Order: sequence, then C-alpha cells, then structure tokens
Amino acid sequence: MKQQAREVYRWLDVQFHRIPHIPRNIGVMAVFLCGAYYASSILISHTGGENNSALVFVLAVALISLLTSGYFYGIAASIIGALCINVYFMEPYEVFSLSRTGYPVAMLSMVAISCVICALTARVKKQATEAVRREKKAKALYEQNEKLNAEKAAIQLQSERISIRESILRAVSHDLRTPLTAISGAASVLLSSPEVSPKNLAMLSDIKQDADSLIVMVENLLSVTRVQDGTMPLKKREEMLEEVAGDALLTTRRRFPDCHVELKLSEDILYLPMDPLLIKQVIVNLLENAIRHSGDKEHITLSLYRQEDWAVVEVRDRGRGLSPEVLQAIMAGRAIPLSGDATRGMGIGLSVCQNIIKAHGGFFTGENHWSGGAVFRFGLPAEGAST
Amino acid sequence: MSEKQTILIIEDDRAISNFISRALTASDYRAIPAFTGKEGLSLFFSHGPDLVLLDLGLPDLDGLDILSQLRDLPREVPIFIISARDRESEKVRALDMGADDYVVKPFGVSELLARIRSALRRAERMKLSQGIQRDVYQIKDLTIDLAKHQILLGGEEIHFTQNEFKIIELLAIHAGKVLTYDFILEHIWGPYGGTGSNQILRVNMANIRRKLKENPSEPKYIHTELGIGYRMLDD
Repeated sequence: MKQQAREVYRWLDVQFHRIPHIPRNIGVMAVFLCGAYYASSILISHTGGENNSALVFVLAVALISLLTSGYFYGIAASIIGALCINVYFMEPYEVFSLSRTGYPVAMLSMVAISCVICALTARVKKQATEAVRREKKAKALYEQNEKLNAEKAAIQLQSERISIRESILRAVSHDLRTPLTAISGAASVLLSSPEVSPKNLAMLSDIKQDADSLIVMVENLLSVTRVQDGTMPLKKREEMLEEVAGDALLTTRRRFPDCHVELKLSEDILYLPMDPLLIKQVIVNLLENAIRHSGDKEHITLSLYRQEDWAVVEVRDRGRGLSPEVLQAIMAGRAIPLSGDATRGMGIGLSVCQNIIKAHGGFFTGENHWSGGAVFRFGLPAEGAST
Repeated sequence: MSEKQTILIIEDDRAISNFISRALTASDYRAIPAFTGKEGLSLFFSHGPDLVLLDLGLPDLDGLDILSQLRDLPREVPIFIISARDRESEKVRALDMGADDYVVKPFGVSELLARIRSALRRAERMKLSQGIQRDVYQIKDLTIDLAKHQILLGGEEIHFTQNEFKIIELLAIHAGKVLTYDFILEHIWGPYGGTGSNQILRVNMANIRRKLKENPSEPKYIHTELGIGYRMLDD
C-alpha cells in the first residue's frame, strides 16, 4: 500500500515536471488562487467573517511557492491574493477600496508574510536540489574511484606477474649460464694445456662443444619464453642492422672457427627499431643452422639489404637444402619438426627465429635456392627508418 | 719481463674463478682470486695488482661501488667488468665510471686473454708516455696524423668530414678502450649534443666504416661493442 502510494507519487511528480516551465508555474498559480477564492467564498457564506480569507490565501501562496520555481510566482500570487481579498471578501464588496481603517496594514503584512514564506520555500527547494546534485556527484566520484581502484589492482597484478617472471628468468639464466661458462672455460683451459693426452683431448673438445651448444640452447629457451606469449615487452631501440649482423657473425666465428661466412652489406644505412639481442640471436641461429645442417660450411653468405619498407637479412648456404617436411612447416608457419640427432637444436632454433621475428612484426621465410642450398630470409619493418 | 704481472680476480663463483686463474697462470700471469668484494679490496691494497677482473654480481658489495672506490685511488689500474649478457645498462654505467673493458658471461678464454694482453700493453704505454699526447697514431695500415689533420689508409689519403675525423681521433687517442656512445657524443657534440638519441653518431660511424671499407664482421680498425659503443683496435 505504502509502496503503491510512493509509486503513484513518483509518477505524478514525473508527469508534473514534464510540463514546460512557464505554463506549469502559471497553471499552479491559477489553480491555487482559484481554490483559495472558492474556499474563501464558502467560508464567508458560512461564517460571515472576512478574517479567515487572508489565512486561506496565505496557505495558497505557500503552496504555490512550494510548487513553482523561483520567487516570482509566489510574490505575484500574494499580491493578487491581497487584491482579491480587498475586492471580493471585504466590505465594500466588488470594489477596490483602501478606506477601511487598518486595512492597508493588514494588506501589507499579508504580502510581507507571503514574501517571507516564498523566500523560505525557495531556499529549501534550492537546498534540496543542491543536495540531490551533490549526492549524484558523490556517487559518480565513488564509482569512478572504484573503477580506478580495480584498474590499479589489475595493473599492479600484471606488473607484479611480469616482474616475477623477469626475475625468475634472470635467476634461471644466471644459474644456468654461470656453470656452463665454467664448464666451457675449464675445458678450453685444459684443451690448451700440454699435459693432456691426445685421447683425452678429443673428449675434452666434445665437452667444450656440448657446453657451448647448451649455452646457445639456454639463450634460445630463455628468449622463446620471453617472446612467446607477448606479455613481456621487447626491449626495442634504434639499432644499426650491420652492427648487429657483424656482432652475430663474430660470435658465430668464435664458436665455429673453421666456417666461412661472407657478410654483404647494403649501401643503405639500415637504422631501425629492434630488440638487438634477440635479432642477433636470430642471425646466430640461422648461421649455426647453415654451418651444422647444410653439409657445406665454407660457402655461406649473410646479406643485408633494403627491400621497399623492409630491412632484410638473408642467410644462404650451398648445402643440401631443406627437406620437404621442414619446407612445409616453415611455409605454414608451424613448428619445425624435430627429427633425430642429426638435426639436434635445429627445430628449436628455427622456432625461436620465427617467434622473435613475429614479435617484431616482420616476415620470416625459408626456401631452397634454384641453384642449390637453402635460403632463409627475414625482414623487419623499416618504414621511415633513416638512411 | 722479469717479474710476472699480477691479476686480481674478484668473482664469487669458484668454478669461473678457477678456470680464469688456470688460464692466466698458463699464460704466465700471477692470478690472485678473491671471492667477496671485501676480500677483493683488501687483496687489492696488499698486492697492488696490474689489472683487476671484477664481477658485478657479488654477494656482499655492489660491484659498481668497488669500481668507484678503485677509481678514486691515484694509481690507475685497468679494471675489467664481468657481467651478464642482458645487463647492458649496467655495463655502460661501469664503463662510464671508468672501467676499461668488459667481458660477458658466457665468455671464451682466448677472448679474455687477448683483451687482458691489450689492456696491459696500453697501461704500459701510458706509463711510458706520461700522459704526453702523440701526434701520429698507427693502426695496421691506417695512419692518423693529428698534427696534419690527415688520415692515410695504406699510404692513400681518405677524406673525412669534420665530425668523422673527430670521432676517429677520439677513438685513436683511447685506442684499445671501449668508448660508450654517450662518452663519444659528449666529446664531439657537447653535453647536449646527443640528447635522447645517438643516431647522429651511429650514422657517422656507418659512413666511416664505408670509407675505411671496414666490414663489421672482420673489424680491422674499429670494433663495435653492440649496444654499448666502439673501440679502436690497437694490435
């Protein structure tokens, strides 16, 4: 019941405020003044006295000022009411007269009381609307705050996750690299020592080679975890491609001193954004691939050139070429099949390359050259890169 | 040389320290291992080594602190930084703080030995020259004549722009030492020259490389330290 009444009231309120401003206010004024007029006429016919009519009009003025906006309508209603009382509810009836003693004072005090009521109600209304406005604002602020808090928490969680992963990766890489460096270093010290018999020399050289390839493998696995799911940003900066390629080739030569790789530079200066350590790793992987798996490590070329908006790196060997399975897998962008000891590390190496290049927004292709041998190519976006 | 040159190895990983010691001893140096930063500092003062190998990831002291302590001393000793591959900013800071060179884990023995030899030779030369600057620098068939403002490659003059010449001059004066991008930029373009970008230096370098017909994979004169800077070779 109470609920229903509240709903009816709300509905009426909404409908009432739908009427435009001026007609609404004038309508309210007319309705209440007429009501006061009729109520006063009924009262006067029953009691015969005229004192009550002033109170009735003051009540009407109070209601008018409550339901209209601003002071104007309330004050207008009080003046009209005073005139109305003078003309209709005081002797002489139907005539405007100020002749009766005390009347102007009564008139003026009625107008004054009405004005005060008007002012008070106007103030109350203003405070009420102000309160509603403040409440709305506070609510909006609260909601915004809640939203920001939620966002902040999400970001914090994300960055915490990234930093935890970063520190785990760093710890893993340190803990793997340090002993591998020690193994490889110890083996190479022994290799150059005169006290080792030739028989043991071969084993030592195996230890060194395997330690070195484990080092490369660890780098690859670390990079691939870094790049794979895209949660960790690339450490990109502008870098001179020929310097990265040169460094990659120096690293490769150190590991395979008897290989022969020719570096062909482009006349253009290729200076573009990349994660230089990762790109170096791609080049190292491709070179190692050619050296270890092509069957000919003497005729390898590493070329850099610009092709339209791409900075392209090409590794070409003159070996036996790629098997159909590997070719298909590269073409489809699938993981390269891992098969047998002979290709140990090749699959992982090439997958790492593909992932790193993809993360850079570049392209990666591998194919057999018409004149024999395999060609791997990757391009990095270089639009706008300076020359 | 009558007396063996002494090298202090401040490195907490025993396996690495061991093989470096063995390699140094085999190459006729005297190696002193220190496994903590404090031990390293005290051994430095008691033995007065000719060169220091310093790992930046020590358990007790910050490697960079040790570096700055050693650099504050009047005696100039070459200091090599041993650091991880992916900590470039750390290496750059160490070099800017006065480290002479760096090796990156995993590193090879022969590479380390070659760099140590070159640094010791340079220190020897510095001692002999007493800080007097030379006018002519010779690196293989490259002659850099600062007085005549002339660069000859195999007897033939090559023309360089003003800035290119200044870069080569700076590298030659510090031959053998790694100069960081910021160091070079500041010396040639002034303190605000390269704010935010070292592109101007890198492009100049690429042009120098083309004029010297230098292949970055077989550097004869200028070695690129990827992401860090450049070094003129001195042997």
